[in-house]
Amino acid sequence: MNYNLNILSEDTAKKKSTFAAVKSLVSYVVEEKKILFLAFFAMIISAIFSLLSPVIIGHVIDKYIQSKQFHGVLIYSGILLGMYLISFIAGYLQTKLMGTVGQNMLFSLRNAVFNKLQDLPVDFFNQNKAGDLISRINNDTDKINQFFSQSLMQFLRFILIMIGAGIFLLSINFQLGSAALSPALIIWLFTTTISKWVKRKNQINLKSTGNLSASVQESLNNFKVIIAFNRRDYFRKKFSEANQNNYLTSIKAGLANNLYMPVYGFFSNIGQLIVLTFGIYLISKNIFSIGLLISFLAYITSFYNPLRQLASLWANFQVALAGWDRISQIMDLDNNMPIIEDNSHNKSDSIIIFKNVFFTYPNGNEVLHNINFKLDRGKTYAFVGPTGGGKTTTASLIARLYDPNKGKVLLEGKDIRSFSREQRTKKIGFILQEPFLFTGNVRENILYGNPDYKNYNNEQLYEEILNSGLKSLIERFESGLDTKVQTSGEVISLGQKQLIAFMRAILRKPDLLILDEATANIDTVTELLLENILNKLPSSSTKVIIAHRLNTIENADEIYFVNSGEVTPAGSLNDAMNMLMKDKRVS
Amino acid sequence: MIILLVIFAILGNGANLLIPKIISRGIDDYTSRHYVLNKIAIEFLAATFIIFVFSYLQNIIQTYTSERVARDLREQLSNKISQQSFTFIQESNPSKLLTNMTSDIDSVKMFVSQAVSSITSSIFIILGTTIILLTIDWELALTVICIIPIIAVMFFIVLKKVRLLFKKSREVIDWLNKVINESILGAAVIRVINSQQIEYQKFLAANTEAKNLGISILTLFATLIPVITLVSNLATLSILALGGHFVINGRISLGDFAAFNSYVTILIFPIIIIGFMSNVIAQATASYQRIERVLKAQDIIEAGTIVKPLKGNINLRGISLLYDGKPILKNVSINIKAGSRTAIIGPTAAGKSQLLYLLTGLIKQNSGTIEFDGQNIDDYKQDSFHKQVGFVFQDSILFNMSLRENIAFSNIVTDESLKKSLETSELNEFVELLPQKLNSIVSERGSSLSGGQKQRIMLARALALNPKILLLDDFTARVDSQTEEKILNNVNKNYPGITLISVTQKIAPVENYDQVILLMEGEVIAAGNHKKLLNNCPEYIQIYNSQRSTSHYEL
Repeated sequence: MNYNLNILSEDTAKKKSTFAAVKSLVSYVVEEKKILFLAFFAMIISAIFSLLSPVIIGHVIDKYIQSKQFHGVLIYSGILLGMYLISFIAGYLQTKLMGTVGQNMLFSLRNAVFNKLQDLPVDFFNQNKAGDLISRINNDTDKINQFFSQSLMQFLRFILIMIGAGIFLLSINFQLGSAALSPALIIWLFTTTISKWVKRKNQINLKSTGNLSASVQESLNNFKVIIAFNRRDYFRKKFSEANQNNYLTSIKAGLANNLYMPVYGFFSNIGQLIVLTFGIYLISKNIFSIGLLISFLAYITSFYNPLRQLASLWANFQVALAGWDRISQIMDLDNNMPIIEDNSHNKSDSIIIFKNVFFTYPNGNEVLHNINFKLDRGKTYAFVGPTGGGKTTTASLIARLYDPNKGKVLLEGKDIRSFSREQRTKKIGFILQEPFLFTGNVRENILYGNPDYKNYNNEQLYEEILNSGLKSLIERFESGLDTKVQTSGEVISLGQKQLIAFMRAILRKPDLLILDEATANIDTVTELLLENILNKLPSSSTKVIIAHRLNTIENADEIYFVNSGEVTPAGSLNDAMNMLMKDKRVS
Repeated sequence: MIILLVIFAILGNGANLLIPKIISRGIDDYTSRHYVLNKIAIEFLAATFIIFVFSYLQNIIQTYTSERVARDLREQLSNKISQQSFTFIQESNPSKLLTNMTSDIDSVKMFVSQAVSSITSSIFIILGTTIILLTIDWELALTVICIIPIIAVMFFIVLKKVRLLFKKSREVIDWLNKVINESILGAAVIRVINSQQIEYQKFLAANTEAKNLGISILTLFATLIPVITLVSNLATLSILALGGHFVINGRISLGDFAAFNSYVTILIFPIIIIGFMSNVIAQATASYQRIERVLKAQDIIEAGTIVKPLKGNINLRGISLLYDGKPILKNVSINIKAGSRTAIIGPTAAGKSQLLYLLTGLIKQNSGTIEFDGQNIDDYKQDSFHKQVGFVFQDSILFNMSLRENIAFSNIVTDESLKKSLETSELNEFVELLPQKLNSIVSERGSSLSGGQKQRIMLARALALNPKILLLDDFTARVDSQTEEKILNNVNKNYPGITLISVTQKIAPVENYDQVILLMEGEVIAAGNHKKLLNNCPEYIQIYNSQRSTSHYEL
């Protein structure tokens, strides 16, 4: 399955309409109906009040100021003061509540994306760059947040004010009102025409931001090589290219985003001009009064000022939509490794059976070709063969990191795909070729994902470690269980990382344990210890050992020779050696 | 650029200020029966057009300036980072540097693109309006203007509080980045162990913190903005009451009163804008401080000047190395002759890799000296030094680019040296099988390659330099013995006279090396050739015995 987001992006993005995008985005907010409703209520109050105040002022001018009645002016000032105070409270509530909704939405959105990532198979991570994914989870969701928490409330508020102002304008004088609003129609046409184009520009820009982030990420993680090969210029050059590209796409997006504002402003002013000239004409015909004209002018400002603001918000909106498209690309991906039904009541003594298994990596190399073999309980198997021969791939299929393209892998006689993730991972332990540690300490890492000892204190845990024979390994760490470790760091050596991964797997007590060159960087004396520890596992547990060092596999019950897509049983270690030698001689 | 930006902003907004004036004149003219439609309309259109032109120009320049600032800042940051030592990168934490280069720069960009021009134009509008108001009626104007200092004080108080919160929220982003990063790099382990839920919990913790901070920041602004609106509404109110009083008194005209009303609306708007922008300013300040810390980092001063070719005599005297106060190497002294082969053997975490790091200058010792051909390592010019020392790292480090670029990583690699290195690393056969040969793209972290292939690519990368000294860090761990033997023979044949230092676990391949050094817990336990160590070093004998049972297969 193709999981490469940057290849996917072109075809999926187009299919979605703006409406569908907004709808799916809104689904992250609906959980907060109550808050949203309250915020909306507060918004309506403050919008109504800010609309009413010019009416009142117009009224005061016409009725009291022109007739020189100061008393009335004072009364109405009192009323206005009350309104202002209420809209102060409403304003606070509105900002606070809408902002909270925005933050909550960002929170659930990020959680949802991260959760999705967790749900996707290893394949997805092989095909995408870490930096780009980080950029999607952080930067793109933040673009959506910026719109939601800062702009959405204004957006709605402005639209409300505009609708209100529009109604007032039309009801005060329909002729003048419709004339004054006509430029808004042009603005609307303009907006619908260019928005798609603007969004596309933003999409390109966000993609380039993702690339920039990927380039930084890669270079920083590989900094050792950059220094040792004296290629500091490589870092600069590669970054510079990504940077320049980002600069160009940003400018294009920026220019597109900035198109709204001046155009909106221009037509707003035209609206005012229409009111002034047409209004005076109407007054001269005695259909209109000066007081009304002044409040009309105020309304036209309340109509067009928010419209002008909408211009910049609309640009934000396009950015947010572009960000959302990139995120929904991830959200739309499906795990291509579903759990299926297998109702057959096959029981098998073999823990693993490969039946006519074919496997090809997405890049097109066929690695396994019609593989058949059985692994029996309680036995130790060794997989040997030249590098690149398919040993790790075979192991990955046993652990269901991938599914075969053709054929079946059976776990305890049933299709491995019918086991839930919990069931499967509890049965199968896999020590990967490249050990990975999470930032934290040794204890956290060896108990990682192991609920059995979660609540053990250090003493109880030591007891358990003693029983499993891991004591001498723990002692190799400066501060024992509390030794600090880091994902990227040179303080812990590769051999030590392998020790931790080993202990992690042993403590999980799997039925089947795969060691994929799991001890390659550990010294041979320690390795003997590991062998003893492995022997302490219950006699029913099956072991699969992949190794280059032959002493680690000499005690295997059976040896498989894996090369060029085939897995062949070798009778003895000597047979395996001969195969290895012969293969070498042929090539 | 900035000056141009300010000029355009001022011109555009200045024209904006004229509009109410024109309207008020129109009304007054009409009431006094001097109304000429054409004149008013032309003036109005002219003003509108000027606003349009200048505001668009302002936007264009704004975009260019802010993007340029962002690009240049990023460039500066990357230049700075690229000058730094390996230790610096480790200590400043790659996740954080990534935030510096992305989110932090973005906040600064936002400041330039939005805040600079809108604040200058806002201030300009406020000043302009104030002056116009003063000319109409100073008493009334003063009442209105007194809102400005009140608002200024509010800003000051809120900004002070919010800056700290913004700094924290940046740190939370670092944290989020770290969790995401680990969940991506550790994707395979997570799936093998089925610990997706645990990763999710970690993410949830960071994300919750981010949300809480976001809400705290929001609460501050939720207070600030309505207060500003209230204060400015009060100004409108005082105009109505006091201005109404003046109109009744006949002190000002109705047209003036209308103008006053319009101007107050104009005055309030920029004040609210400044309110919103204070958010951007606070964020940008917090971000810039973080960027600045990187920019102010000390440059490594390249003191070395020696460029002469290395022979390969290496001399370490009394080397000690500490990590976090923990001793890694203790008083290590080693002598290596040019053209000789040296093996470093020892248990896990003995300090073997660190020893190699010291020899390439990736890290610096805490005491002792390292000499190459009798000259201190620091006296060599880095550029020429690194070209002569090839290092094969233990962990596979590959770039997402073509195989050719990965191997010919240094810029001194020629077609010939590339060919020789491929042949030596036994990669030709593998490359031939690839559909695009050397132009095949290696995926990030080399996920499409097997462990042994990656290891050999790393070796080819080091050999492509035609190095005088070759450092191998557990190179043989993931390569089968046959291939390993072939490769080592190839090295002898194709790179005669090379000085080889190999960290390894296996004794058999190094039995005829000139020197074997046994390193344990940071100390040199024994040094000498295989025979000598077998005679007088019990620890070595123990290691030897641990491998002996299968040694007859290693042939």
